[in-house]
Amino acid sequence: MSTRSGFEKHFPEALNEFAFVTVFDLMIQYIKEGRIKLDRTRFAGVKATYHDPCNYGRKSQRLFGHAYYEEPRWIMDQCLDNWVEMYPTRENQLCCGGGGGTPPTGYHEERFHYSRWKAESIKATGADMLVVPCHSCHGQFNAMKKKFDMPGLQVKYLWELVADCLVV
Amino acid sequence: MKEAQKIIDLNQADPQKFRSWNFLQDFCITCGLCASSCPASGIDGFDPRKVVRMVSLGLEQELVDSKFPWICTMCGKCEEVCPMQINIPDLVRSIRGLRDRDKVPGTLHKGLQAALKTGNNLGLPKDDFIFILEDVGEEIAEEPGFEGFKVPIDKKGANVLTTVHNKLVNTQNEDLKHWWKIFYAAGEDWTIPSDNWEGTNWGYFTGDDEAMKTMTGRILENMRRLEVKTLLWPE
Ligand code: SF4
Ligand code: SF4
Repeated sequence: MSTRSGFEKHFPEALNEFAFVTVFDLMIQYIKEGRIKLDRTRFAGVKATYHDPCNYGRKSQRLFGHAYYEEPRWIMDQCLDNWVEMYPTRENQLCCGGGGGTPPTGYHEERFHYSRWKAESIKATGADMLVVPCHSCHGQFNAMKKKFDMPGLQVKYLWELVADCLVV
Repeated sequence: MKEAQKIIDLNQADPQKFRSWNFLQDFCITCGLCASSCPASGIDGFDPRKVVRMVSLGLEQELVDSKFPWICTMCGKCEEVCPMQINIPDLVRSIRGLRDRDKVPGTLHKGLQAALKTGNNLGLPKDDFIFILEDVGEEIAEEPGFEGFKVPIDKKGANVLTTVHNKLVNTQNEDLKHWWKIFYAAGEDWTIPSDNWEGTNWGYFTGDDEAMKTMTGRILENMRRLEVKTLLWPE
């Protein structure tokens, strides 16, 4: 997101010189063109949920005029039979607490206090697996497992889910 | 919570101070929706409404010294609910930018300095970087279905250029594999640059636009040097 806004602000000429693609659009392209095949039974019996990162939602909407809400959900549908939404989602989602560069600030106690509502949202889904398309969120959720007593929760990148379901 | 009781000295107020900032801060109707929606509200007695009002009043020192701008994740929840559409995340980022650089908390500025100097937040030398990539690549090649996998470093004319989040060549090497496997399965023509591969851009977090421009410009340089067609926006 920061790189994309950096290009738009400082190097707009490059936007015509090259093509640019988001992680979502690239995975969707591979799937739709039949370049990758996915096995939806790989995680049979696992209940999953999805976290909307701030940067692909509200931030992308404001900066680029499009929020990535439906794309990741479509990808989830290609990989999983059983996944549920948490509450709240999309433009109303709660930040994981690891956004804005907070993890390297050293304010750990504050960062976990921040994520208390998010932990409740996750627990309420009863999910065993939490899928995220963001490195900051991934790190924060893994750190939250201990703090909020969710030892069984598997935190997975969206592209990891796709890689795990690949038929090769 | 003691600090919450601290009385703000309005003699310090200078309403002209932030007049040039156009986050619509002076249109706040003090409704409090932002404060109720923000998971960081209450930490040290701060909340977004208070921050907006302090910007209007020009209480610069209080704001710059406060921990709140660094605990706020710039998530935009407050802006979403604000009836006046006040751009609180960018306002917070501007306050971050006013701190002396050596007082930026934690490793944020140090990581950024390393990135500006070496091309990545870790200051990881090029040889070590290549070693890690090739090592992980060999592991993939041993898995059934991925025979012959190789990491295409600095491949000229590739279709897709990728960057690397520094934590993946630090403690989380396993997580390099997911995208690489997808590329392999899709038959993608892709590449990773051996220099300036950093995918994060911490100038965004510290409120440093110049640094952001430098880091972005380096990715563009790599695109031109390697004559790639497409950039995969860093995850
Ligand atoms: S939601 Fe907007 S108008 Fe209401 S107090 Fe917050 S900044 Fe002011
Ligand atoms: S952007 Fe900052 S102030 Fe606004 S809701 Fe998020 S954490 Fe709170």
